[in-house]
Amino acid sequence: MNGKSVLRAVALTLIGLFFLFPLFWVVLMSFMTNADILRNPPSPFFSPTFHNYVALVSGQLVTTVGTQKIDYMLNLFNSTVLSAFSVILSLILGVPAAYAFARYKFRLGEDMAFTLLSFRFAPPLLVLLPLLLYFQSIGLYDTYIGLIWVYQLITLPLVLWIVRGYFEDVSEDIELAYRLDGHSWLSTFFRISIPLARPGIAAAALLSFIFAWNNFIFALILGSSSVQPVTVGALAFVTASGIEYGQIAAALVFSIVPTLVLAMFTQRYLVEGLSLGAIKG
Amino acid sequence: MATLKLNNVSKVYDGAGERAVDAVTMHIDDGEIIALLGSSGCGKTTTLRMVAGLESVTDGEIRVGDRVVNNVTPSQRNIAMAFETYALYPPLRVRENIAFGLLRDRAPSAEIEKRVKSIAAMLEITDLLERFPPSISGGSQQRVSLARALIRNAAVYLLDEPMSQLEPQLRALLRARIKDYLIAHKMTTVVVTHDQTEAIALADRIAVMEKGVLQQFATPHDLQERPANLFVASFIGEPPMNLFPAVAKDGKIAVLNERQEVAFHVPLGSEAASRLGDGKRIMVGVRPHRIRLASGGEVTGATLVGEVSSNHWLGDHCQVGFQVRGCSVIAVAGRDLQARPGSQLPVVIPGEAVRIFDVDSGAAILQDAEPAVSLVV
Amino acid sequence: MAFLEITGLSKSFKQHEVIRDLSVAIEKGEFLVIFGPSGCGKTVLLRLIAGMMQPDAGDIVIDGRSVVDLNPENRDIGMAFQNYALYPHMTAYENIASPLRSRHVPEAEVGTRVHDTARMLRIDHVLDHLPKALSQGQKQRTALARSLVGRPSVVLLDDPLRNVDAKIRYEMRFELPRVLRRYEATVIYVTQDYKEAMALGDRVAVLVDGAFRQVAHPHEVYDAPGTTRIARLFGDPPINLVPVQPVTAAGGVEMNVAGGTVRLPADSAAVAGRDCTFGIRSEDIWVSLEPTEGLPVTLEAITPVNNRLVMLLRGDEGTELFASCPQGSALDHLRGRHKAWATMDLARAHFFDHGDGVRI
Repeated sequence: MNGKSVLRAVALTLIGLFFLFPLFWVVLMSFMTNADILRNPPSPFFSPTFHNYVALVSGQLVTTVGTQKIDYMLNLFNSTVLSAFSVILSLILGVPAAYAFARYKFRLGEDMAFTLLSFRFAPPLLVLLPLLLYFQSIGLYDTYIGLIWVYQLITLPLVLWIVRGYFEDVSEDIELAYRLDGHSWLSTFFRISIPLARPGIAAAALLSFIFAWNNFIFALILGSSSVQPVTVGALAFVTASGIEYGQIAAALVFSIVPTLVLAMFTQRYLVEGLSLGAIKG
Repeated sequence: MATLKLNNVSKVYDGAGERAVDAVTMHIDDGEIIALLGSSGCGKTTTLRMVAGLESVTDGEIRVGDRVVNNVTPSQRNIAMAFETYALYPPLRVRENIAFGLLRDRAPSAEIEKRVKSIAAMLEITDLLERFPPSISGGSQQRVSLARALIRNAAVYLLDEPMSQLEPQLRALLRARIKDYLIAHKMTTVVVTHDQTEAIALADRIAVMEKGVLQQFATPHDLQERPANLFVASFIGEPPMNLFPAVAKDGKIAVLNERQEVAFHVPLGSEAASRLGDGKRIMVGVRPHRIRLASGGEVTGATLVGEVSSNHWLGDHCQVGFQVRGCSVIAVAGRDLQARPGSQLPVVIPGEAVRIFDVDSGAAILQDAEPAVSLVV
Repeated sequence: MAFLEITGLSKSFKQHEVIRDLSVAIEKGEFLVIFGPSGCGKTVLLRLIAGMMQPDAGDIVIDGRSVVDLNPENRDIGMAFQNYALYPHMTAYENIASPLRSRHVPEAEVGTRVHDTARMLRIDHVLDHLPKALSQGQKQRTALARSLVGRPSVVLLDDPLRNVDAKIRYEMRFELPRVLRRYEATVIYVTQDYKEAMALGDRVAVLVDGAFRQVAHPHEVYDAPGTTRIARLFGDPPINLVPVQPVTAAGGVEMNVAGGTVRLPADSAAVAGRDCTFGIRSEDIWVSLEPTEGLPVTLEAITPVNNRLVMLLRGDEGTELFASCPQGSALDHLRGRHKAWATMDLARAHFFDHGDGVRI
């Protein structure tokens, strides 16, 4: 253990602490009462309580003034449904589209792709008011389908651009070889192109999930109580009688879990290298 | 222009355990051109990079002139290098890329321009001088990289696969011109290549490496005529040396075919056989260029008959593959040899062309029926 | 009726004509080499035959059946690529088995055929490896095995030895014909290496700038090249080409070359008075360190190549010439520049028209 590696270990620990500390503190807070949290000076020593988690699960927000009904579990469910289905729809639409963009150079192809990407840059407020009016008149206001459709503005460009890059890296010769072996185009797409672009698809799926999960403004305006995700639902913790930090912390911990699970699941696909030495150089 | 000495140089990568370069010792004279030759992964590029200073030396020392340079940064070693990946500066024109190294020496710009033009003419890149690297072909970029290294006044020049991307016609011409240039300017040069034709064409001496170990460091002639072991014998030469399993028995050396039967006897005297010991298994090597084939029935002391299995006619010579009682042999003959597949030819294997190797260690035992010359440094 | 016939094939990309009216007829079991420098269009030609792209005009007929409108999977073609194109997520076994799987060949037969082919190419001990665990040579053999195992009508080999170390490339030059003969394959082999072309091909089709300039037996391409370009492409070192103007003089035809005057053989009347390009191969120039009646030259560099010495000569007026000779002479251990005398074997000279480069 020489000087350089001790220094490296110390630096890594400090950086790790810097980034992980807020997370750690939130987890701690979720086991504290509001009184403990607001104590000055703050202290990591306290007697833990599950009271915050119980409140969330049972749907009863206990404040100093009284008890209030909250629907956090429903919000969690909504977030999961909205994000998951948005990503799935984006993958179904986006992966073949990304393949087309990667393989076929057609006129306006580049323009089309850039236009689709530009949806990410556009401020959501630009489209929200008109969309609200349309949604209300065609009955998509406060529905899952409506929000999933709108979420495509967030998830689809991501899938297109990330996956297109990975398809471009898959050698066309490998696909031609598989077809010369006697397999149809469709078989080639599913057995060769997609598996080889898997790291990109996994990365795009994970990133899209995170962005969809974090979205606030679309859900706030185009949805109401039945489809509210956790981003909007968190507002309920700001009550007339004060902010229940403990329960917010517990809510935060809950909200991290699905994303964490997805990340752990996709991690091994992200790490896989592309081509894996099957192509020279 | 300086000597280059590697003394017991080794490179071990942390955690890998095995030695990428294992105790290599070479003394290169001032103005000598040497080649580091071997297949991918043999350690030649790692050795070159240690000389350049791009890799640290785990063990041993490297001396440029009289100076130990192990801990000297690459820029202070006075070494010019042409990289396998060219490593040109994209925002600079070809002309500026080539002149880059000279800027450090602060030569007058008129002289720099003259030298750039002269080296560009030598490497046939004069019409590319105003272009930018990304817009020219791989072979052209490689020549620019070479020009950039050769134009400098350095103590040692390191060329990593300098002509791998060039088309064959250009390669012959540039090889000759570069060799002329290196000799005229007395440049101490190390060339790394996996192509033994290139090594033999350019180098005064060649260091053959395999698995990090220096196999033999000798002139092309000695590598061909007196290979130190089986690896060198099978690597050098196009076609490489024919190698046959054989056994010394009853005062004679018998070459065995695939079915372990005796195919033919090698015309070495009985003292050679007795020196080996009766029943000893060995490998016999004969260079294809030393085997004499006679078409049209002309026979001078021929004792063997071969059945032709293939004949590659290459314009100025031909390479004939034939079988002698089940044993496959390749020989090189002149362009006029008539040898259709299936026909029979008289074959002469001269005794003085035979080399004997030990089966287990691979080391050469006998050359010209004399004990083998040991590794030359 | 030839087995594989290509007629009038043309293909352009963005106004640029890559191949132009290509036609060639290949017999069953023939090994045709398509030889050409980079950029000549040979890769595009192979891709057209394989079905990766459609030609602008022309037809491709295999065994009497036009395949130009068929998808790649229906053309019964096997192909080995320059960069191997192995499936990285499948073992070598599965890579080779792929053509059999598409035809739903029963598992037992797949096993036998894959092992047979692998054994012939000496990779049967690494069949369970993934491509990343194979050496260059093993990857190339796996690609070859995959192209052959289905016994296709036509095998396309796209410069398969290009990315392989020099030593393995040389070994494969002897092994490939042996393996292909066992499969009785009709082969189109593309290469930039003229030695490979001459060693392997029954015929060589020289493709330059999108058209076949000469399609002939290797001997003919080397001894009677149709153009200066073809002459330069075949031979190492390349043929010496010098512009000359032979004139009729007393007793025959003479010309100035490399700073001296030489007399041409008696039958050279056809070149007298024309602007020609004179071609002489390096092996037909003899060099002596002692003064002879030949041309005085400076011997600038000697590069040994296999069993020969290649010499770079410079004539008094600056022309560079290559000469070569077998090793074992006084020239063997020379280093640096020397004065020398060069004599040419004019019986083996080539003459081409100076304007279009075509053989006279």
